[in-house]
Amino acid sequence: MTQLAKPIKRRRIKGDGAWGYAFIAVALVIFAMFTAYPVVSAFIISFQKYKPLGSTFVGFDNYIVTFKDALFWKSVVNTVVYTLLTVPVGLFISFAVAIMILPLRKKLQTTFKAVYYLPAVASGVALSVVWLWIYDPLPSGIFNQLLNFFGISNQNWLGSSATAMFSLVLMAWLSSHGTSIIIYLAALLGIDDSYYEAAELDGASFMKKLWYIVIPCLKPTTLFLLVTGVIGSFQVFQNAYLMTGGGPDNATTMVGLLIFNNAFKYFEFGKAAAQSLILAAIIAGIALAQFKFLGNDVEY
Amino acid sequence: MKRKMRVLASIFALTLALSSLAACGDSTKKEANPPTPSDTGSKTNVSADAKDTITALLPPVSSEYQNNFPQMEKDFNALYPNLTLKIEPASWEDMTQKLDTQVNAGSPPDIAFIGSDGISKYMQQDMLMDITDTATKEMVEDYDKVPLEYMKNGTGLYGFPAYMEIHALGGNREFLEKAGIDWKKVQKEGWTFDEFREAIKKGVVSEGGKTSRYGFVFATAGVTSKDYLGILIKNAGMPSPFTSDLKYAYTSKNFLEVLKDIRAMIDDGSMPKELSSIDAGKRWNMFLTGQTMITGKGLATFENSANKNNAKIEANDGSAVKGSIKVQYTVLPVPTFAGEKMQASAAVDGYVTFRGKKEPTAEHKANVVKAAYFLASGKVAASTNNDLFVAHITASGKKAAESMPVTRDEFNKAAVETMLAQAAPARPDIPTDLGAKAIKLEDEVIVPKLQALISGEMTPDAMYEAVKTAAIQTFGEDGVVK
Repeated sequence: MTQLAKPIKRRRIKGDGAWGYAFIAVALVIFAMFTAYPVVSAFIISFQKYKPLGSTFVGFDNYIVTFKDALFWKSVVNTVVYTLLTVPVGLFISFAVAIMILPLRKKLQTTFKAVYYLPAVASGVALSVVWLWIYDPLPSGIFNQLLNFFGISNQNWLGSSATAMFSLVLMAWLSSHGTSIIIYLAALLGIDDSYYEAAELDGASFMKKLWYIVIPCLKPTTLFLLVTGVIGSFQVFQNAYLMTGGGPDNATTMVGLLIFNNAFKYFEFGKAAAQSLILAAIIAGIALAQFKFLGNDVEY
Repeated sequence: MKRKMRVLASIFALTLALSSLAACGDSTKKEANPPTPSDTGSKTNVSADAKDTITALLPPVSSEYQNNFPQMEKDFNALYPNLTLKIEPASWEDMTQKLDTQVNAGSPPDIAFIGSDGISKYMQQDMLMDITDTATKEMVEDYDKVPLEYMKNGTGLYGFPAYMEIHALGGNREFLEKAGIDWKKVQKEGWTFDEFREAIKKGVVSEGGKTSRYGFVFATAGVTSKDYLGILIKNAGMPSPFTSDLKYAYTSKNFLEVLKDIRAMIDDGSMPKELSSIDAGKRWNMFLTGQTMITGKGLATFENSANKNNAKIEANDGSAVKGSIKVQYTVLPVPTFAGEKMQASAAVDGYVTFRGKKEPTAEHKANVVKAAYFLASGKVAASTNNDLFVAHITASGKKAAESMPVTRDEFNKAAVETMLAQAAPARPDIPTDLGAKAIKLEDEVIVPKLQALISGEMTPDAMYEAVKTAAIQTFGEDGVVK
């Protein structure tokens, strides 16, 4: 028996597989604690009226209330509008900047990459404070001074429902491209030079090379950025919370902000959990649709 | 070597995993152990003289308040040698989030400094500690009756008030006089909306179609719009969202009158058309830089801030507000609407008492009450309230303040006292669930619609109808004022 047991024990210690499992275990424990457990917990809470001294089971009440809540659907529409305006334009801007940076010398390329990545390092709160200053509604505000220069009267950027959503979208367009630019650049550098050489021999123009070589070769990257961009955009919270608080007249209330308010302002954790799971289902549905319709001919 | 590296890497990985688990400790398990001074908020069985620790989460109530924490802890321990007061400082920004997290985790501090309007919020979570049976007669009798009522809900008392502050308006004395406004008379007798409207029209300075000074600027960006409406409607015969027979009041015709008047002041050009984006910091800057004659909301402590900035301007100190002018801050009452009487908006903040997941023992409860009373009376209250320029609300605080001279404008002091005498009374009779519904209605309907009204995107009538419809949906046809 002893003779049989020994080789097994040795195999477990020496085997690379065992070490692999040991390392995975750490990530798995952290995933279980900080992702799986909260999700399961949220699922349970979504059927409860939460109270620290003891929650009560309320069945599907939180879901029914959410589906009947006009503000929830308004926030979903706001989030969809925000996503449709920010993600495609954001991707286009990142792609265009990456294309412009690509031919530069390495040092200059690195400088530009650092410059564009800088907002990602800065605190979101600090960025919002700067943007609040830019959007100052009085004639002394930066944007308003620019408008006044062209003879247009000052605008109440964040205080009017006509401009509040656009102001948040503009803020997204002009910042947070760092990661996408770096990913696009890495993908652009991965395209084999022989494609360009062959195209040049055929006398292809810049636009032709872009259309027939670059865009198809970057399709997996674009799909990845699109899917992660949509997911991130659907979870948007910080901008609306810090810049407009969801106003005016809920014109910029996003689902993320609504969930936050229900949980931490009104302590309706059950309703907030139900809304979180509905949002997760919406995001999952959209991500699946993106893979189904856009990912068919993508090779990894 | 390779094997050693693997073992080392595993140890690091395990440390990482365990360190993340450390935060998940269950603090309630501590209750099984004997109490120690570090056993924060221990709800163990302790005798009257046994050692106990009381925890308090306190924001920077005044500029000097948090600097005094070590002395406050020392003084409390000298008074009660067996007790330790452990104060956790928090910024105003973090205060609510910290407290909410601790409350929802079931382990709040024993005492927290919050506004009395937060009592109903934590009542819903069943996490407040009723001290009615523990607060001694001497303690209760030390307080003025009106502010103490604000710390009640139903028949329960949930802490002690620190001060009662009037939410008023503040004027630039020089500009008021230039506009021909008899501010002394206004301070004594108040003013109607029509008088106020005419006065702020006179305060506007325009040149070439551009306004360099407005008559009145009130912070209304985001949640501050709640303050704006709240302060105005108290003087329109609605001191509370509910009437004495618990009907929702903001469906009355007076509410519509106030909405019309809010819009009229902007349409007159007395208030900026961008008002909906002006936050508290911006309007104070506008006041100090002479861009408005009257500002709101005005707190007593603003006189102190204006005086400090005046001193900086005089000393040519670069830290004075950029472009600011010397301002003599003048307390002004909020105008009355629709012929109603003046009822000043009062904010009572104080030391609210909390309980943990387990029922606190009578001894611990008594110790928490001692700590809350220590913080909300006598020397501590006197020095804090003096810093804030607010009136003292305890006999012990008034006595302690006698030896602490404060330089204050006598007219302002008298004006605040007049308004304190007319302060809207507390409404501990409003049931928690009804109060919570009113808060949600305010946040989800009134504030967003008010933002739209101020931006000129909604008419007063449309807003009134939207509020009325939502109120009927929430409280029923018979639950609202007709």
